[in-house]
Amino acid sequence: MESKFWHAYVNYYTITVDVLLLIGIYFFLKLPKEKKANSLYWLPLVILGFSVIYEALGGYVNSNFEFKKAVNEFLGNTENPMYNIWLYNISNKQITTVLFLFLIKIWIEPSKKKYINWMISIFLITAVVFQLTGVEPLYLDQPFIAALAANIVLVSCGLYFIGMITNDHYLDSHPLRLISFWQTTILLFTYSLIYINSVARIYIFGISRELAINMANIDRVLGISVRAMLLLIIISPFLNKVFDREPFYVPSRKSDLIS
Amino acid sequence: MNPTEDQIYVIIFATLFLGGIMSTFVISMVFIHRQRQVQNRQKMDQIKSEHEKTLLNIENEIQQETLTYIGRELHDNIGQLLSLAKLNFGSLKENKREEGKEILSQAIQEVRGLSKQLNLDWVETLSINEFIAQQLERIQNTGFCEASLEADLELLDLPKDHKLVLIRVIQESLNNAIKHASPDKIHVSIYENGSSKHILIKDDGKGFDTSQDSQGSGMFNLRKRMETIGGQFELNSVIGKGTEITLTLPN
Repeated sequence: MESKFWHAYVNYYTITVDVLLLIGIYFFLKLPKEKKANSLYWLPLVILGFSVIYEALGGYVNSNFEFKKAVNEFLGNTENPMYNIWLYNISNKQITTVLFLFLIKIWIEPSKKKYINWMISIFLITAVVFQLTGVEPLYLDQPFIAALAANIVLVSCGLYFIGMITNDHYLDSHPLRLISFWQTTILLFTYSLIYINSVARIYIFGISRELAINMANIDRVLGISVRAMLLLIIISPFLNKVFDREPFYVPSRKSDLIS
Repeated sequence: MNPTEDQIYVIIFATLFLGGIMSTFVISMVFIHRQRQVQNRQKMDQIKSEHEKTLLNIENEIQQETLTYIGRELHDNIGQLLSLAKLNFGSLKENKREEGKEILSQAIQEVRGLSKQLNLDWVETLSINEFIAQQLERIQNTGFCEASLEADLELLDLPKDHKLVLIRVIQESLNNAIKHASPDKIHVSIYENGSSKHILIKDDGKGFDTSQDSQGSGMFNLRKRMETIGGQFELNSVIGKGTEITLTLPN
């Protein structure tokens, strides 16, 4: 069972994400107390930790067929008990997207934060309704929910860029020295390319299975890039010469997610 | 090339195209940011230079006002004291000479007081409350009208530029009341409303129609000056019922 788990779990992607998390935890613990309490630093760590947890769970599910079968049956999927896409749908496509939206929300100007709140609500309601009504079951591929997630993230990144060229705080700064600029850019690329890649992969899977598996590596490389950037956010206070302070950084803020 | 390969190339091309669009978007945003940053800096420099110009004008006006006041004081007060001292020193009586010495000391003190006002250092040492009290005392002493001050708080630790603007605006508001309103009473109150601090200058004079152009430019200048330090200027006046000016201090 254990060797089965390791066989299912270990690959360059999961190992890299694990290493990123360990480095992230080390630097997070070295942060001053005031920064540890700031969602700008703990949220990236939460996303990294969450990625490791769902990848480990994915490995476990693939190594324990009975468990996977039971979950599939619970979700109403008796035809394909081998599928574990439900885990990918709920963790990567839905929860991670919401966490990234919260991250973008920290960086955008206060007057635009309400749009992110609205988009998160719309996304969650749509995802729950689509899954409960069976329009896009949790155990199958969810192109509409994925498209909605990608579009919402792209619009949020757009809001960040609009703020960057209109808000006085951002106009005073140098964007190439802002960690938020690089993270938003990487998210913009990831969500647009992963989307087209995942849509095309379903089609290519029918033509050439090998090519489709190779295309999945694009997802992994982009996933690693995004998570490496999350690590950079945690490390950024130690890289004063490389990154400037964020224009909307509020040191005493207890929770950016509530506002 | 078979149709399958064709379709794969289309997908690769679409991916590259989308990547290209995203790259163009991000690069354009950085360029637009740079352009706006330059424009913003130019705008800030312009505002800064206008602010400095306004402050310079205000300093000149305060000095002008001070010189007029000193001229009047030299003529009406110190000149009179010195003439009286001269008369006393010319007397043969000892007590008159002693009185002359006292008058001379008083004149010296008055001259010292006036000399302090020749530069703007007094702005640093005097608080706004003290300045208003001083101005109202002068008005009261002339017997022109009754003048009173009510302060709920002391306006301390104001930056010099804020103080200069406030002094000039208060001075001009009081001058306007005296020149144009012929009031029986001028009342100034300093109070706090929530987090903002206000100065209310109220007279029971003639009042005027605020929509008339003749009053417009002077009031416009005062309003603009308050805005240069981030404050507000509000004017309310009714013919026959007096005028109220509310100055809201910058937070």
